Amino acid sequence: MDPTLGRVIDRWRAGDRDAFEEVMDRYGLQLLRTARLVLRDQALAEDAIQETFLKAWQRIGSLRDEDPGPWLTRIAMNESISAYRRRHRFQALTERFGRLGSAKRDVSSEARLDLAHALDQLTAEQRGAIALHYYQDLSVEETARILKVPVDTMKSRLKKALHRLRELTGSEEASA
Amino acid sequence: MSDNFEKNLRDHLHSEAQETREFPRRLRGRIRDGIAPRTRARMAPQLALAGALVLVAVAVLAFRNPTIINVVTTNIKQILQPSPSPTPQPFTCTDRSGGTIGISSQLSAIRTAPHDGYDRIVFDFTGQIPSYDLTRQDSATFVRDASGQPVTLDGGGGLKLIFRDTDLASGVPSDTTPALASVREIAQIGNFERVVSYGIGISSSQCVRVLELSGPSRLVVDVATSPSASTAAAPTPLPTAPAATDLGPFTCQDRGGGSSGSLAMQLTDVRVAHQPGYDRIVFEFAPQAGAVPRVPGYTLFRQASAQFVRDPSGQPVTMDGSYGLRVVFQQATGMTSYTKSRDLTPSLPVVQEVEQLGDFEAVLSWGAGLSRESCIRTLELSNPSRLVIDVQTP
Repeated sequence: MDPTLGRVIDRWRAGDRDAFEEVMDRYGLQLLRTARLVLRDQALAEDAIQETFLKAWQRIGSLRDEDPGPWLTRIAMNESISAYRRRHRFQALTERFGRLGSAKRDVSSEARLDLAHALDQLTAEQRGAIALHYYQDLSVEETARILKVPVDTMKSRLKKALHRLRELTGSEEASA
Repeated sequence: MSDNFEKNLRDHLHSEAQETREFPRRLRGRIRDGIAPRTRARMAPQLALAGALVLVAVAVLAFRNPTIINVVTTNIKQILQPSPSPTPQPFTCTDRSGGTIGISSQLSAIRTAPHDGYDRIVFDFTGQIPSYDLTRQDSATFVRDASGQPVTLDGGGGLKLIFRDTDLASGVPSDTTPALASVREIAQIGNFERVVSYGIGISSSQCVRVLELSGPSRLVVDVATSPSASTAAAPTPLPTAPAATDLGPFTCQDRGGGSSGSLAMQLTDVRVAHQPGYDRIVFEFAPQAGAVPRVPGYTLFRQASAQFVRDPSGQPVTMDGSYGLRVVFQQATGMTSYTKSRDLTPSLPVVQEVEQLGDFEAVLSWGAGLSRESCIRTLELSNPSRLVIDVQTP
């Protein structure tokens, strides 16, 4: 870890709010942008990031001697996905037990969606994976570690998400 | 497999993200408020009104019955009478934490005095003793909070003391150099966002003991004066079952303590037993290879129900009993080191159930279901490192 950042973290551990705000300056914007990609709503994303930093402040003792970025991202992803589930309980149910009725858009008979609307149709978990892998440019392994799922599960999740986005936007599947 | 679609997706995500141009100032403010609630300022008008009403009530009562003045002054004297000092504890060479988390306080004075075998520093507070951390260091050089500038005090060793949610009263000196055997200099090294910190330059790396006293609230830091006192006192383990008179009073407040470290302590045992006058819960820890044994930093919360929330799942769990205690250890885990039951149901007078609530990212939490509302006391013991929670029984 960058020694300067290490000293900031040490001061944060000692209860220094100034140091905590330095960390907020460093990671806040990227975390907020990532949360917004997952939640598709600015206000919800801000709430999730507020909770993220409050939890981080309380749980600084659980941060080992490591870059706080992945640790903060993990908290932010948990908060974002939880917030999305709270906001969309019915949708979470349908995602868990299979979509009901017309919840799944029949793309074959409708106009193709643009990417923004297609992303809206993914599950929060899929968007979390997409945001970390394609926006934060994390590897599949890093994405799996942050979202606490096995690497194979993450590969499958990304593959399904991409397939769904292609289906929704009418894009051709790339030949392997 | 990467193609134009993935490139388009990546570009789209970056473009969508750019719509959030900055970290909103209002969000920063909400977070800042969340970690530093300014309840005192908000409560000031209400407190002033309440005080005025009390004065009016006393005046009316005194007018109708003059003897009430004697009763009131006698009670006030009883309240203001200093509490007796607790039985002295041994000096230890470990970091310390304590106070009450979440309460606001004002540091009103710092006093020093020499004693036989130790130098005493007293921090006086208006209100309760706030949450604090005392850390030892091998030099008298400190880093000023906020600025990051180094400052070197008189002495060859140091103690850093941090108070949270604390204001400074006017007149508290920012730097004093008492001519004492161990305590050489006390300097304020931070006062930002209600976190006040002091560096204490001491002659070498003497051991310390910390006492929390009430009536008025004061935190006492005793620094041993001779190396022999340090070395003699440091390895002395506290007895496993000290005499009842040495254990300290039960209090009906949340508690915090333990000390921080870079490596998580390993939970090895949880025991529950009844003793005359209290039920005892013991959490025993072992250090990882190369780590210094310690009781990990902890907070102990009392609650008026036996319902808890698991960490991190958020699932509710209801234990036996009507009241509860929740203890949260920082930098501690029992994931591999603790192999016994994680749900104990002893048939004790007050403690009905003790269950693990979470063990995630080195934050370990346990709960206890209680049959009645009870006061508690905590003891931090060494050899092996243990946190003892005594729950008062009828």
